[in-house]
Amino acid sequence: MQAKLSLEELCAGQGLSRSLVVEMVEYEVVRPVAGERDADWLFEAGAAHWAKRALRLKSDLDLDWLAVAMLVDLLREREALARENAQLRQRLARFLAQD
Amino acid sequence: MDFKDYYALLGVAEDAETSEIKQAYRKLARKYHPDVNPDKDAEARFKEVAEAWEVLKNPERRAEYDELRRYGGRRAEDFQPPPGWQSSSGAYSQEFSGDFSEFFNSMFGGGFGGGRGRAAGGFDMQGQDVEIEMPVFLEELVAEQRKPVEYEIPVIEGGQLRYQRKSLNVTIPSGVADGERIRLKGQGAPGSGKGPAGDLYLHIRIVPHPVFDVEGHNLVLAVPVAPWEAALGGKVVIPTLDGRISLSIAPGSQSGQKLRVRGKGLPTRDGRGDLLAVLKVVMPPQASESADALWRQLAEQAAFDPRKEWEKQ
Repeated sequence: MQAKLSLEELCAGQGLSRSLVVEMVEYEVVRPVAGERDADWLFEAGAAHWAKRALRLKSDLDLDWLAVAMLVDLLREREALARENAQLRQRLARFLAQD
Repeated sequence: MDFKDYYALLGVAEDAETSEIKQAYRKLARKYHPDVNPDKDAEARFKEVAEAWEVLKNPERRAEYDELRRYGGRRAEDFQPPPGWQSSSGAYSQEFSGDFSEFFNSMFGGGFGGGRGRAAGGFDMQGQDVEIEMPVFLEELVAEQRKPVEYEIPVIEGGQLRYQRKSLNVTIPSGVADGERIRLKGQGAPGSGKGPAGDLYLHIRIVPHPVFDVEGHNLVLAVPVAPWEAALGGKVVIPTLDGRISLSIAPGSQSGQKLRVRGKGLPTRDGRGDLLAVLKVVMPPQASESADALWRQLAEQAAFDPRKEWEKQ
């Protein structure tokens, strides 16, 4: 049921051209989790979201791919940190006296 | 439909140079982009600004817009394009134009929606992907039961965009983490012509639990213990996601000490994580004279200074 995405599926699902996705991979905006050649690439399901979001950022803010790649890394990191922060706050609250 | 004054939206004069408009757009994009500004209103504002820039950056489209603005711009409400109006700069098509307003689409959209997902002309085109947030309770990760999800998919009926409710029962795969996305192939919007359906993406959000915290595949449980339980040791009954179990506490245990219960955490792809029981020494809420006397006796005999470390500094 849980399926990884091939390059074709990533392109078709998000309406992206093959060359555009290859470019995104070159700049590590999205990273295949398996496959040496592009025909064998497999992406995590989350790659669809990030590919679309990256393309939006590129067009909305008129950025080049290098900047988009950095921004996407930072956004992913920010989301992970926000999740971790929420979890740690919840844990901390259990050890603090209730007001 | 409302007439959109793109010049006013960007805060520029109607005879402004493209470079000036670009600068205005960039400033506003920096301010309102949903990836920068989490405010809900900001996203709506950004969409307007992006739409304005989309029209004004292209000289042909801008000229057409200016013409329409002269024609009907004064009646800001209930605007209708002139009869037979058709954009000569070509039907607008881009990977993501579904966000633009009815006003934009009536001018440049070439019919419904614009861009991807437009089903006009009998193309075989894959249906749109749909992503939904899926809150998941910790209990559901353990139970391996199927979870019903309801969502809406965009469908085109008689050239009109409609939203159709759809429901599914999904099995949440073992080892899924908070924030992960799960792809359900072919459960998105139907394709047009012979095109396949799009996919459904479930964005997993683990709902905070009243008792357990999550650390990777492990669960963390704060276990309140009385000072004498920590001092003397003993057995306490603790909850797990699979029911209650008995936990042995060693004599002389400290607050914050972690006890690992193997296999009582969250499912992983090949087993289960652990439950980490963290001891939390709790004082009895009410003092009594007899209890105070016992504490005093303990204080005299224990000769213990918990802040000894500080004296070295």
